[in-house]
Amino acid sequence: MTDVAISRRGLRVLKACFGLLLLFLYAPILIMAVFSFNDSITVTFPLSGFTLRWYREFLSNGELMVALRASAIVAATSSAIAVALGISAAVALVRKRFFGKGAVSGLLLAPLVIPYLILGISLLILFNAAAIPLSILTIATGHVVISVPYTVLVLVPRLERVSVSLEEAARDLGASGPRTFRSVTFPLILPAVISAFLVAFTLSFDEVVVASFLAGDQVTFPVYLYSQLRFPTRLPQVIALAVAVMAVSGFVVIGAEIGRRIADRRLATQLASAGTPETRGIP
Amino acid sequence: MAVEAGADLKVTSGSRHMRMRRRLATLGLLSPSLVYMGIFFLLPVGLVVAYSLGALTLFPGDRYLSLESWGYVFGRSLYMDLFWKSVRMSLTVSVLVVTFGYPVAYYLAMGARKRKYVLLIVLIAPFLTSYLLRVLAWKVILGGNGVINSLLYSTGVRDPGDPISWLIYSQFAVILVLVYVWIPFVALPIFASLDNLDRSLLEAATDLGASRWKTFWKITFPLSIPGVIAAFIFVFIPTIGDYVTPALVGGTRGYMYGNAISDLFLGAFDWQTGSALAIFLLIVVATLIAIFGRFLNVRTVTIE
Repeated sequence: MTDVAISRRGLRVLKACFGLLLLFLYAPILIMAVFSFNDSITVTFPLSGFTLRWYREFLSNGELMVALRASAIVAATSSAIAVALGISAAVALVRKRFFGKGAVSGLLLAPLVIPYLILGISLLILFNAAAIPLSILTIATGHVVISVPYTVLVLVPRLERVSVSLEEAARDLGASGPRTFRSVTFPLILPAVISAFLVAFTLSFDEVVVASFLAGDQVTFPVYLYSQLRFPTRLPQVIALAVAVMAVSGFVVIGAEIGRRIADRRLATQLASAGTPETRGIP
Repeated sequence: MAVEAGADLKVTSGSRHMRMRRRLATLGLLSPSLVYMGIFFLLPVGLVVAYSLGALTLFPGDRYLSLESWGYVFGRSLYMDLFWKSVRMSLTVSVLVVTFGYPVAYYLAMGARKRKYVLLIVLIAPFLTSYLLRVLAWKVILGGNGVINSLLYSTGVRDPGDPISWLIYSQFAVILVLVYVWIPFVALPIFASLDNLDRSLLEAATDLGASRWKTFWKITFPLSIPGVIAAFIFVFIPTIGDYVTPALVGGTRGYMYGNAISDLFLGAFDWQTGSALAIFLLIVVATLIAIFGRFLNVRTVTIE
């Protein structure tokens, strides 16, 4: 059968486009990886031999480690709060009927399309007006605003796929609302809760704009990196760090994706064996 | 009819007490997120408006209750020129990104068959790594003593000390890096619109004698326009507000509107003019969303 969308020659051309785009996307990363092992203080050709010293140096850079710790605290706090807010909002949006649903979801998703620069300065003005000193807590407060839309976007589709009849069965058997949520709904949406947390965590861990405006004396990792990049004095070290961070986040992304697929398949089989017809046909 | 009436009866037959409890439960679920977004999103934006009008000031001697800040935004050609320059740069980036992203999304949706989701992840993976580090990669490559220039020096193509001047700290550098940063992202909405396309429409067109080229322009492309517009807006908005990339690779030639706002806040401490500039940007963004909002199915940007 001939393909109605692409001719054979067209397919070859498109494959070439895809290959070229991947080259464009990955070549800079590969170049960084090569130079992270290059034994020279300047990042220039010709290459001058293999070394691991840039990796050792960033590991023993105290300032950097403190910034990494601050980022971990900010990311963990902000994503925990964002996920909690996201779960309750998603349950209301999917399961309840109420007036002004469009406006509510609009408000919750709005930070998605507002430039972070505006979010950053508006929160700076707020904390200034309320005389709240800037710290890693003010950064976390801002990151919750950024993360909430993403948690809602991850949780709502999953919740829509969990059949209401399972919850109704629990209620009919005498379980209270909170009890039904704890024993039925939450376990079923747990994979989405975990991926919402991961999305929010990575978002916060990498966020530099809002963090720059809301940082007090203690900066986070991206803010530290930004200052290092504007006035690069320890370039090879930063490059080694960049390669390490990209490798770790690459593994996390791939791991999360595999985990999500396994969880989705398990949900489909669980629900299928529980005999809910509407789950049939889910890949 | 009878069934509907019965269902209706069931809803209204709950006692007043029950209805009250249901409402309270909904309110309890909604209020945490609404209160949070009210305090830390709506209120702060309101404060920015207040600052731009001088209803709130940073220092005692600042302009109190005046439109002077807005006068600076529109009256001085400095800021409006910068705004239009940034619009031009962001438009260039958006057009380039959609032009390059479309064929790739088309290939994934139409040509890649079983492997399409794996290939989509390969394409998007760079987008999920650190933004700053991707900009750093280009700073290292384009720099005066960077990878490209030093390669030219060591091969004797150019004399050391004579770097290609437009490679870094230029509009070119900003546009290149922004295209690099955003291109994996645009593939998503375009891919989603093409992937959901009803293939039987294409078969019908072929059966009626249309060539593939004609089928594409008459059917596939018009049906994918919502995805294209979504991609365009999702790139245009963050790039017009960006100041990080221009600050790192733009220099003075690549200075953008966002840099002016951030410098007014963090450098010059003229929060009033900065607020007026920010509110103007917010109005522009809100207008775009109001016009094109119906194309922005936000779910297409989460990998589902």
